Amino acid sequence: MTSGLRRAVWTVVLVVASFLITALILRVSGYSVGDVFSGIIQGAITATGASTSSIRWAIPLLLIALGVVIGFRAGFFNIGGQGQFYMGACSALAISLGWREGPAGLVILCGTLAAMLAGVLWSLFPGWLRVRFGTDEVLTTLMMSFIGALVLQYLTAGPMRNPQGTGQTAASERIPEAFRLTGGSGVSLTVLLLVAGVTVLVWLVLERTRFGLTMTLVGRNATMARWQGINVRRVGLGAFALSGALAGLAGAVELYGPAARLVTGFSPEVGFTAVVVALVGLLNVWGTVVAAIFFGGLQAAILFLPIVTDLPPPALVLLHGMVAFLVTIKFRAVRRRRAAQTEAPAG
Amino acid sequence: MTAPSGPAPAGAPAVRCRSLGVSFGAVRALHDVSLELAPGRIHALVGQNGAGKTTLAKVLGGLQVPDTGDFHIAGQEIPAGDVRAAKAAGLAMVHQHFSLPPSFTVAEALELTAARPGGRAVYRRGDLQQRWQDDVAEIGGTAALSTRIRDLPVEARQSLEIVRALATEARLLLLDEPTALLTPVAIDALFERLRRLRDSGVTILVVLHKLREVAAVADTVSVLRDGELVLGPAEMSEVSQGRLSDAIVGPAGHADSAVGVRTAAHESQETLLELAGTSSGESAFEPGLTAVDLRVEAGEIVGIAGVEGNGQRSLVSVIAGLTSVTEGTVRIGGDEVTAAAPARRRLRGLRLVPFDRNTEGVSQSAPLWLNQSALRLLGRHRGRSPLISLRQYKRQASEAMDLWRVRYDTATQPAESLSGGNVQRLILSRELADGVEVLVAAQPTRGLDFAATEFVRRSLRGLREAGAGVLLVSSDLDELFELSDRLLVIYGGRIVAEFDGPYDRRAVGDAMTGAVR
Repeated sequence: MTSGLRRAVWTVVLVVASFLITALILRVSGYSVGDVFSGIIQGAITATGASTSSIRWAIPLLLIALGVVIGFRAGFFNIGGQGQFYMGACSALAISLGWREGPAGLVILCGTLAAMLAGVLWSLFPGWLRVRFGTDEVLTTLMMSFIGALVLQYLTAGPMRNPQGTGQTAASERIPEAFRLTGGSGVSLTVLLLVAGVTVLVWLVLERTRFGLTMTLVGRNATMARWQGINVRRVGLGAFALSGALAGLAGAVELYGPAARLVTGFSPEVGFTAVVVALVGLLNVWGTVVAAIFFGGLQAAILFLPIVTDLPPPALVLLHGMVAFLVTIKFRAVRRRRAAQTEAPAG
Repeated sequence: MTAPSGPAPAGAPAVRCRSLGVSFGAVRALHDVSLELAPGRIHALVGQNGAGKTTLAKVLGGLQVPDTGDFHIAGQEIPAGDVRAAKAAGLAMVHQHFSLPPSFTVAEALELTAARPGGRAVYRRGDLQQRWQDDVAEIGGTAALSTRIRDLPVEARQSLEIVRALATEARLLLLDEPTALLTPVAIDALFERLRRLRDSGVTILVVLHKLREVAAVADTVSVLRDGELVLGPAEMSEVSQGRLSDAIVGPAGHADSAVGVRTAAHESQETLLELAGTSSGESAFEPGLTAVDLRVEAGEIVGIAGVEGNGQRSLVSVIAGLTSVTEGTVRIGGDEVTAAAPARRRLRGLRLVPFDRNTEGVSQSAPLWLNQSALRLLGRHRGRSPLISLRQYKRQASEAMDLWRVRYDTATQPAESLSGGNVQRLILSRELADGVEVLVAAQPTRGLDFAATEFVRRSLRGLREAGAGVLLVSSDLDELFELSDRLLVIYGGRIVAEFDGPYDRRAVGDAMTGAVR
């Protein structure tokens, strides 16, 4: 068995184990496991609109997770997708609301580019700290995520608040319908083609360009890369930038797709779930596609379950957490072993 | 931990193994090895890279489960793969690779890992350092006890591994290539300490590479070749040097010619590498350079001699562009590159064999072809499409590795699966593939076996004949004398002497210790 296949089998085993542990906990807490799991199947696949909903959630997960994959390839662990995603959505919103009369195609293009730029800036700062001072990017990207969430809260409650809004949570005005790429379902051919194109592009960059190979060398052993004349800092910043751009893009797709306006704390888990998606996808582009669809389905099911069972909504977050927990343990173990092997004097 | 029983029954061998065999897939690492080692002596185990020395050591230490056979330590049978039983029988091991925790200070790491009797639960920092000071000093270690392990150079880490093993009051000490990274002075100190341990009744099994070292320290010698015990254990006094090297190399091992190298055409007397009044800041464990003047011309090998830690790393690092220059200039192939990025120097024809081949020379977890292709990733991309052909990269890498006779199964296997000599061939296949102007080779033969060492030396000579320049940094004086057209001595970050052949070992040695200014 090749090592890739072995790792894939392992991951499936861990995911199944997470389901079993969750089932056990539900059982002990007095819920009907059968009802819950048939509810998951309905909510993810069989109920009306369920598979569309699964895809709708898979889209932002995939885009952000691809960013995580890129970062990891160069040896960095960008877990701040959530903040980069928020900043992307806010930038696209600002362009779209500020230029309501503009031609739809141009506004969407500008908004998307602005969103990617915002994602880049939001990830470049921790990236710069990392390559310049060696600051642990796991901490800084996470902290930047919290800042991003607060910025979103400020904007939706302050400058961008919809004065006519009556909801309990602060929200912005809606963007004009002409700017939307999908209906409320969040899925359309345009968006699917866009995401498919981006995925193929990411794969090409990682596996078929010199930059991709260079990132691999830097990620495996930065000391060796430096001796080979590779500018390790520049490669690292490039990886951070690409990673942030993808999360920012996810924000724009969210706005021009299902959201149409921004609500304080919308899609609160997507950036973090995306990290798990990338890990379950074995930090490989095609594996990540599969994992994103799987977790998209789970997300759709979580939203659907309260309708058919008496399960409180947070209960299924448990399942998420369990998968994340098991997969991360295994991943950290592999990563530590690798780090120990390439441990070298600072040079 | 102490041995559960008293001293071994009189006359029981310290180690007895029967028909040990280990295979990794199709590779036979050990085959039918039966061996008895008498107690209270120093036994050397020699053989080429990949001959099975490390595997045998691992089996004895309980770190590798043998496929066949069994073994006893001090008369007790050790269950296969039982590290605790081996330790309880009095075995302590010094590994070839480092196992001290990088983020600990020297004193902390030793206290944690050495399991030395008489330890306390809580220490004041000063007491802890005091407790280990003598041990570190005795082996000739210069590391401060408050330094973190990760900040130490490889040489210092290696000597700490030995300190650790010696501290456990073992009855059987296993050292896997302990001298590979040590300076000559430290090697002498180590041997002296081994002799004293032997005299106090400890049995020592030491894996060595150099026949000179075997002759200096061993009482008996055993030779492994292709996983089989082909000689010994034989008394050193009864084995001639010639018989020993025949046993090591085997009947087919002698012919292996160097590879032709393509270089840019040069007029002789053209200066390919020049440092003029170059100074650099000091690094964590080495002096920086002070006003170094150095020229390497086309078709010559210039040797750099010196006791390790006298600025050799700074010198190579400054040439590579990894350490910035505070004063003076660096020129490669006639172009000034003092402020140029490492990539530009590489593109200008600078080639490097770094000090530590496993961390600086290759990326262990990356596939062979990617390691081999690293230099192709520099510079402007040529070609109409931004995409590259992996097949072409892999083919070029395989061709180069075949040319340099790297032994491998597939180009996609990780570099960590190669033996030391093969890693060095891989590095040479990359560095000398094309367009070499000047090669800076740092300790290119350290830790290599006889055949691989000869191969590397022939390659350097071949490079000189092809009109390239070579700067050879080595701590092996024999190697420097054999290869260098001129020899510079570095001391405290300065070039303190220059010699032309034939070399006077005494004079060079004096310069190395700073006796001559």
